[in-house]
Amino acid sequence: MTEVVLAIVLGALYALGTFLVLRRDVVRVVWGVTIISQATNVYLVTMGGIHGSIPIVSHGGGGHHAVTDPLVQALVLTAIVIGFGTTALALVLTYRLYQEHGTLDLQELATTEDSQ
Amino acid sequence: MSAIVAAPLLVALAGAIGCLLLRSRPRLLRGVSLLAGVGYLLATVALARAVYADGDAILVYYLSGWQAPYGITLVADRLSVIFIGLTAIVSLAALWVSIKTIDASGQRISYHALYQFMVVGITGSFLTADIFNLFVWFEVMLMASYVLVVFHSGPEQTRAGMQYVVLNLLGSAVMLLAIGGLYATTGTLNMADIARRLAEPAAYGIAPGPVLGLTGLLLCVFALKAGLVPFQFWVPGAYQAAPPPVTAMLAGVVKKVGIYAIIRLYFSVFAVASIPDAGGLAVVAGKPFLVVFGGVILVMALLSILLGGIGAAGRNNLDALLAYSSISQVGFIVLPLAVAATTLPGDSLFRAGVLATIVYAIIHGFAKGVLFLVSGAIEDHVGTLEFSQLGGISEQAPVLSGAFFVGGLTLIGIPPLFGFFGKLLVFKVGVDAQNTIGWIAVGATLIGAILTITYVTRAWERAFWGPPNEFVEELTASPSVVAVIAGLAIIIIALGIGFQPVYELANGATSAVIDTDAYVRAVLGPESAHAIGGGLR
Repeated sequence: MTEVVLAIVLGALYALGTFLVLRRDVVRVVWGVTIISQATNVYLVTMGGIHGSIPIVSHGGGGHHAVTDPLVQALVLTAIVIGFGTTALALVLTYRLYQEHGTLDLQELATTEDSQ
Repeated sequence: MSAIVAAPLLVALAGAIGCLLLRSRPRLLRGVSLLAGVGYLLATVALARAVYADGDAILVYYLSGWQAPYGITLVADRLSVIFIGLTAIVSLAALWVSIKTIDASGQRISYHALYQFMVVGITGSFLTADIFNLFVWFEVMLMASYVLVVFHSGPEQTRAGMQYVVLNLLGSAVMLLAIGGLYATTGTLNMADIARRLAEPAAYGIAPGPVLGLTGLLLCVFALKAGLVPFQFWVPGAYQAAPPPVTAMLAGVVKKVGIYAIIRLYFSVFAVASIPDAGGLAVVAGKPFLVVFGGVILVMALLSILLGGIGAAGRNNLDALLAYSSISQVGFIVLPLAVAATTLPGDSLFRAGVLATIVYAIIHGFAKGVLFLVSGAIEDHVGTLEFSQLGGISEQAPVLSGAFFVGGLTLIGIPPLFGFFGKLLVFKVGVDAQNTIGWIAVGATLIGAILTITYVTRAWERAFWGPPNEFVEELTASPSVVAVIAGLAIIIIALGIGFQPVYELANGATSAVIDTDAYVRAVLGPESAHAIGGGLR
């Protein structure tokens, strides 16, 4: 059951992210990219299995109970840190884009390119 | 276990950290950065000597002593070393030009630390034997390159940088998705372990179908890094926005990371796998994965050669022309891989195809390094690269023009320059294949060569010939910059005349690609690779 719910949530997140990336507003595009990378993180966690117990030896690991895979959680931590840095950079760039061009509309940004 | 594997990585990392600490001492900072560049070259030489000491060593270093496949493993073999060698030479030349041409405040604040971190990321990507670790090194490299692309921080740079960042962030998300999926299907992240398991999927309970799909997704990411059509949109903007030495690095070396990953993963690791008989894909059932990869790479290569070449021929700006040319040339680089994929590893055509790709990648690294450094020197002094404002540079700056001439001719493939052998090998692979894909490759190479002649001639005629105008008369580049650029041009001539050693090195690298068995044995231990040995060869 949990898998089905998670699969639907992941699908919805990717759909929302894709929708936002295709918008004309740069801020929405950055939001879209952020949502897609977060959805990927959730997807990574589910790849390790979500039914086992906590992967600590004293909590049942090493016994007959299955534990979830701790490796994907370590991977996700790395990915979250990287995502934090890149999102911050993308937001700074968005701010600079507004300062320098006076607009965040991709269509208008493209036309200023032609006039120069 | 040999610690020398990590040497180039550690030298660049130490340089980067040193540059971060020395912000208040600009002269010392530049010295440390240059020292790191020279040290990197020396470390590379030491590593190459260690790899070639017994002829064909594969050096393995387990980080923190964790055995593969449980820990992260660094591997230096003949393929890694040839690409690290290219990085060492081009990055040192570009670093010297940076020191001379980037404004002093920029150098003091962040330029050198970012530059060294970019080299760290590139080196890590060439050395790692773990696909998640490959993702991390890609991010290290990209994070530094994002900031370097917007380094001049004008309106144009910000816009191009935004495009570059958003496309690569999406690429990173897709890469993570594919890696997570590969981990879930194969149960490992270690490249050697993946190869071992894919050679015997039933024994490890792997369904090859999903693996094929996920590797296809991953191929899109590497194509994005290499700037192949249809993932080329970031290339012209980013190349024009970045400071010229950074562009030389992006075009010369960073693109080769994508090429390297394609060769390493798709023509060594995933090449051992076959598509299952049962499944909806009746056309390719039972065939190796390579058939699918080859088809995709062929289409991307053909489109890159044509669109890049036509785009370059129509530009009125030297930097834009070179950027489109770079899209076209990457098409040439991967085209022999598509022909190689029609056969299996162990076939002589497979060897010839991979060999041609490696040689062409090295040639392109040097040629684009020279061309972008020359265009950078022109832009620094003339202030523009529009053809309408240029002309007569050959009279004003004969040495720079000579270097551009050599770089351009090597792209076209005139003997005895280095580029001639690249074109020769690409043509030879197509003709030797004696099949439809081979002839398509020959046709595309011919059309691409004509387009290359067109745009190089146009650049030469519009910018370098004719009487110098008042802007061009300002062109007086610093002698040491001219010397470095001329040095790179001389390397191109020298490698063309003395091609035999390069051929031997590339041939060794090709053997390292083909012998997946030896790679698995070196990483996982001697008794681990019987499956592959008995499988495909």
